[in-house]
Amino acid sequence: MTRAEIFDKIADIIADRFETDRDQINEQLNFKKDLDADSIDFVEFVLELEDTFNAEISDEDAEKLMTVGEVVDYIVAHQTEDK
Amino acid sequence: MKIAVDAMGGDYAPAEIIKGVELARDAYSDVEFLVYGQEEQVKPLIQNDSRITLVPAAEVIAMEDEPVRAIRRKKQSSIVLAANAVKDGEADAFFSAGNSGAVLAAGLLIVGRIKGIARPGLTTTLPVLRKPDQSSFVMLDVGANADTKPFNVVQYAVMGQYYAQSIMHVKQPRIGLLNNGTEADKGDMAHQAIYQALDSIDSINFIGNVESRELLNGAADVVVTDGFTGNATLKAIEGTALSMLKLIKGEIMSGGLGGKIGASMLKPVFKNVQSAMDYSQYGGAVLLGLKAPVVKTHGSSKAPTVKNTIGQIRELIETKSADQLVSYFADHTDEMAALKESLK
Repeated sequence: MTRAEIFDKIADIIADRFETDRDQINEQLNFKKDLDADSIDFVEFVLELEDTFNAEISDEDAEKLMTVGEVVDYIVAHQTEDK
Repeated sequence: MKIAVDAMGGDYAPAEIIKGVELARDAYSDVEFLVYGQEEQVKPLIQNDSRITLVPAAEVIAMEDEPVRAIRRKKQSSIVLAANAVKDGEADAFFSAGNSGAVLAAGLLIVGRIKGIARPGLTTTLPVLRKPDQSSFVMLDVGANADTKPFNVVQYAVMGQYYAQSIMHVKQPRIGLLNNGTEADKGDMAHQAIYQALDSIDSINFIGNVESRELLNGAADVVVTDGFTGNATLKAIEGTALSMLKLIKGEIMSGGLGGKIGASMLKPVFKNVQSAMDYSQYGGAVLLGLKAPVVKTHGSSKAPTVKNTIGQIRELIETKSADQLVSYFADHTDEMAALKESLK
C-alpha cells in the first residue's frame, strides 16, 4: 500500500471514529489537542488500526503517536509484506 | 439465542460456572452456550453437553493482569475469544465472572460501543426495601469510568431508561440524578448542568435529584451518576449492610442466653432480611451502551447466581435492548450533538 493510500484509510477511520469532517483531516492533526481524544478513544483507534492494517502496535510505540502523520509513518514502516 | 461464557473467570471457576450454565440450560430451553475455557479443566466438569459447545481457550486472564494490556496480548484467552464470538455475530451476549477491568475492556474494545454513545456505563440492580410497588432500582455508572464527563451522565439516563423497561418492566421509569440534595440548584456546577440537560430531554421521565440515603427506599427507578461517585455509593451501601449484620450478630452473641433465645425466635425474620438484601438474585452488572449485552457477575458467584445472571442476559437478548439503544441514538444524533455542545 502506498503512503497516500494508507493516509486515506486512516483519515476515513478518524472521520468516522472522532466524528470529524473528512476534509479537515491532515497530517498535522493532533489526537489530544485537535480531536479531543482521551486514552480510551486512542486505544480503540489503535485496535482498529491493528485490525485494518494487520499490524501489531506495542503500547510503548502507541504512546509516542501524537499526530495523524506519525500514525501514517508508523503504518508505512510496519506494514506486513502480504498486504 | 447463544451466550458466550468465560468459564475461567471467578473465584470458583470453572466448576461453579459450568454448574450454573447447566442449571440455566435446564431452565431455559431456548438458550445455547458457547463455553470458553481450558479443555482439560472444563471438559470433565460438563455432565451433559446438550446445547453446550466447549471452545478451547489456551490462555487465562488472571485477576492481577492489567486489563487493557491483557486484552491486547492474550488473544487466546477465554475472555478475548468469548468477546470475539459476540463481535463476529456467533454469539448474542457475553458473560464472565472474571477480572472486572478485563471484562469491561473486552466489552468496550472488542464488542464495541453503539454509535453515538460516548461511554458505556456499568449498571447494577439494587433492592428497594419495604415498598409495595417497587422491589428494585438500577444505578449507573457504578465504575466503568473513573473520569466521567457531564455529557456521559446525560446519556446514561437514556440507556438506563431502556434497561429498566427491559428488565424491570416499568413503562416510564422515573430517572433521578444522584446529588447532595433534592432541589434543582443543588450540587456543583457539573451537576447543575447535568440537571438542566436531563430536564430538557422529552423522551425520558426525569424526576430531579435524589439523595443517596433515599436510594433503597425507592426514590427512583433509574439513578444516574458518574462512575467515581457511583462506585463509592455502591460500596457504601454494601459495606453498611454488612457492618449492620455484623453489629447485630455481635450484640446477640454478647447478649447472654436471653439474646440467643430472642435471636432464635427471630430467625425467620433474619432470613427474610437476608433474602431482601441478596442482590445476587438480580444477576450481574451490565456494561450498557455496547452493541450486545456484556454482563459481569461477582467474582465470588456460585452456580445459582450464574444461572440468575444468564436469565437476566436472556431477557436482555429477548427484549432486544441493545437494538433499541441503537435506534434511539441513530434517531437523536442532532439532539445529542446539541447537548454535548451545551455541556462542554
